[in-house]
Amino acid sequence: MNALLLMAPALLLLLAVFVWPLLDYAWLSLQAQSVFTGLEAVPVGPLNWQRLAADGRFWQDAWQTLRFALVSVGLELLAGLAIALLLHQRWRGRGVVRSLALLPWALPTTVMALGWRWIFNDPYGPINGLLQSLGLASVPFLAAPELAWLATVVADVWKTTPFVALLLLAGLQMIPHDLYEAFALEGGTPWQGLWRITLPLLRPYVFIAALFRLAQALGVFDLIAVLTGGGPASSTESLAVYAYLNAMRFLDFGYSATVMLGMFLLLLLGAAALLVWRRQAEVRA
Amino acid sequence: MSTAASLRVDGLCRRIGGRAILAGIDLEVAAGECLALLGPSGCGKSTVLRVIAGLDPCDEGRILLDGRDITRQPPARRRVAMVFQSYALYPHLSVERNLTLGMELRGVPPEQRERELTAVLELLQLSELRRRRPAELSGGQRQRVALARALLRKPQLILLDEPMSNLDAQLREEIRPQLRAILSGGRAPAIHVTHDQQEAMGIADRIAVLHDGRLQQCGTPQELYHHPANLFVAGFIGRPQINLLPQADGTVVGIRPEHLVAVGNGGLAVRVLSREWHGASQQLLLESEQGPLRWTCDGNQAVGDDLRLGWEQRHEHRFRQASGERC
Amino acid sequence: MSRRLAAIAQGLALALALALVIGLLSRAWARPAAVVRVLMPAPFADATADLVAAFNRSHRDVRIAVTRGPFETEAVSDLAISSLLLGDSPYDLLLMDVTWTAKYAAAGWLEPLDAWLGPEALAPLVDGARAGNRIDGRLYRLPLVADMGLLYWRTDLMDAPPRTPGDLAAISRRLQEQGKVRWGYVWQGRQYEGLSCVFVELVSGFGGQWGPGEPGFGLASPAAARAAGWLQQLVHEGISPRAVANFAEPEALQSFEAGEAAFLRNWPYAWQELQRPGSAVAGRVGVTTMVAEPGVSPAATQGSWGFSLLRGSPHPDAAVAVLRALTGEASQRQLVSRYGYTPTLQTLFNDPELVAQRPQLPQLRRALDQAVLRPLNPGYAQLSDILQRQLSALISGRGDAAAAMARAGRESDLLLRASGQELSPRPQEVGA
Repeated sequence: MNALLLMAPALLLLLAVFVWPLLDYAWLSLQAQSVFTGLEAVPVGPLNWQRLAADGRFWQDAWQTLRFALVSVGLELLAGLAIALLLHQRWRGRGVVRSLALLPWALPTTVMALGWRWIFNDPYGPINGLLQSLGLASVPFLAAPELAWLATVVADVWKTTPFVALLLLAGLQMIPHDLYEAFALEGGTPWQGLWRITLPLLRPYVFIAALFRLAQALGVFDLIAVLTGGGPASSTESLAVYAYLNAMRFLDFGYSATVMLGMFLLLLLGAAALLVWRRQAEVRA
Repeated sequence: MSTAASLRVDGLCRRIGGRAILAGIDLEVAAGECLALLGPSGCGKSTVLRVIAGLDPCDEGRILLDGRDITRQPPARRRVAMVFQSYALYPHLSVERNLTLGMELRGVPPEQRERELTAVLELLQLSELRRRRPAELSGGQRQRVALARALLRKPQLILLDEPMSNLDAQLREEIRPQLRAILSGGRAPAIHVTHDQQEAMGIADRIAVLHDGRLQQCGTPQELYHHPANLFVAGFIGRPQINLLPQADGTVVGIRPEHLVAVGNGGLAVRVLSREWHGASQQLLLESEQGPLRWTCDGNQAVGDDLRLGWEQRHEHRFRQASGERC
Repeated sequence: MSRRLAAIAQGLALALALALVIGLLSRAWARPAAVVRVLMPAPFADATADLVAAFNRSHRDVRIAVTRGPFETEAVSDLAISSLLLGDSPYDLLLMDVTWTAKYAAAGWLEPLDAWLGPEALAPLVDGARAGNRIDGRLYRLPLVADMGLLYWRTDLMDAPPRTPGDLAAISRRLQEQGKVRWGYVWQGRQYEGLSCVFVELVSGFGGQWGPGEPGFGLASPAAARAAGWLQQLVHEGISPRAVANFAEPEALQSFEAGEAAFLRNWPYAWQELQRPGSAVAGRVGVTTMVAEPGVSPAATQGSWGFSLLRGSPHPDAAVAVLRALTGEASQRQLVSRYGYTPTLQTLFNDPELVAQRPQLPQLRRALDQAVLRPLNPGYAQLSDILQRQLSALISGRGDAAAAMARAGRESDLLLRASGQELSPRPQEVGA
């Protein structure tokens, strides 16, 4: 009873900021509330859900969002680890580089997305300028569906690798230095130390970074809105962009809520899979 | 378990930012011998260990292990094992993986690994704990694992950096004879760094006293106690601390508290300021014309008593005031 | 030092007290002014700043308070919608793009203006500016400036602009082969509203129409397939760069301004940009209407901005007075002469003084006379999105134009049926 009382504020807060909107969306997903109904809510049963199941665009966007998230976060972890290892070493100018390396993370996403739109510009952007000065053809990075999604990945990796690097750097600094000394005295090389000591001990940090970043990347919105607007041919559209279009552009709140809930359910599924995987990995270790 | 070897260190120097941390350290440790490096914190004793292990660079001097110059060799090639103050056990590995990882790295075949592991677990009474993680062990158990890891290295030299400092007082006294037995069981020389003179005397064959990056004296515990080479060693070795009485001729007379005796007349006039009773003996703090004195005796003096104290000539140590050296 | 501080503090206290007294007195004497709050996109807020200041100086009972919105059209809409969804709007007037009107009216956010402005409110406007303000017979918006799609061409590279799609392609190819330009034609191919604008005038030029009346909302037609196919062909043949699939107005303008292309599709604002000192084509640019197939009259996508009165305004009379003043002749004149906007009032197009200053005005008038409107439908944003998706896929190299347009048509039909709208033609819009 006492414990419940002590937990009450936290539970209420959780209820207010999480459960309540979720229930609200669930209710809304069973209504037709759009510009066609004069924004009045009209109960329509599972109509929106049927529409979602048959909505090729939703599933295309879900796949694109997942692909974007997995590839970006994967690359961010690799690049972030490399940078963290580099920044963990002692060298002249490290302090300056450490602060500089954080800049992309501090930059507002819309600003950096505009920057990348310029960098990828065909033919005036710097990358194509370089290609052309080397006598190569310019590449329509943002105009070709098979390239544009990679361009969004590159921009995202550039922007959020510092965050991952910082988290992993904190993890590296938690590893006592004498472990490496003991390891070296036992005959281990630095490369072996990376695999036998650093990576295993960094795992909780990698996990946290991956979790944070996946949650963010699966909800990617502003980067895509500015960089490609979801195009070409909706090949870079994410679920968040689609939900936004439905709510703010189409004024179709019933369906937008359904899209967001659908996205949430997929996310939940992903998180569950990740937790199970982690549990199994722990059991194995 | 280890091969016989001897260590010689000549003129070891280590500077950091122009400041000398070690200024010409000479040491010699014979095969099977345990040398304690004793000194107050910041005296450079851990640095000596790290330079010998190759973890810190050697700016000047030579390190010879079994006649082989290892001064410039990387740590992995020195065949030196070290027990860290923190034990430096791999937190993500079980006890047995902690112990076998090094052998695996050095390419020891699996059957031999298992054999040596079993032996060392047996020796250090760790067999029951082989599947535990370091976090699930007590301080003493961790120390034994660290020691086991050092032994499995089959080192030509074992270095121990304050291995007792994380244990409580009672455990330390229990472990000291065990550690001594294990170290003298092997034939590798050992260097044991400590700031605790009791620990040093209890474990080591010889003690090297370090102060301000310089070797003050190296010898058996008895030599250090009975013939301190200078004022620092005299003051550092022996508890309660030696009484130092400056003389008019520019020397200092040192007399240990237990060597003072009550005399009828002559000697020094003193008054008892305070008293600590230790069972077998008692420790008095006295006031004299020449300053405070410590006296260890078995009498029944009370605070406020006036007495006269003297000592036998053979117990007197005499040092030069200016240089601190023994006369 | 501390004495000086004390003196300053005393002075401040005195000033504060005085201000308080004066404030209280003036409040007691003056009738409270109605504050009319107006949300405008940043460029308009800047261009009307003088007009607003002048209005506030000359009116004691009404004050205009302008909220300077974002630069981007859709960002302004997002801002307005976010506040409207919360209930009471913090604004009285909203400067709206022509495509928003139907949606906002259907959402019940707009107050009809007929009661104040009467049936003849749109009479003084040029034909092209009248469309898009009335929905179901009610006037919801009064236009401030007109905007329409134009074809810019290089006067130094040809004697006369092309009139047909075939001409445009042929001239482009010739100039490209001669090495005079890198590209023939640059336009807006990014997946966004601009792509719908490109399409709506083009499909008219191919003899079709995007809107109710034909199956697939006019998209399942040969004209739509030909228009879409032509755009796709431009990219395939290299007349337009592949990068056009991510071009919005600035990118297209940049390419043309650098002298890289023979033709540009853009809005009137581009004229001034192209005449700037840094422009490689200054003085060598002509402006005309979009190409059309032989025998079909060319068309220009209309994209005007106008004021709407938001429902729930606490003082609609004052708001309408502001709306009248800001869209009036004096106001439009200044926007034209100072900022190069296109007016909506007939009289201004023939004003000798303005024409002397803006020689392109007659040409703009002709384009405006051929203005076509994007469908006035509450679901327009979604219909446009359906079209953009298919067009974008075509331009970036996928699929068959007729099939893509048929698909867009089916999706449009599905949307309208789901929304309960009839598919048969229905008079949604009465011109004037």
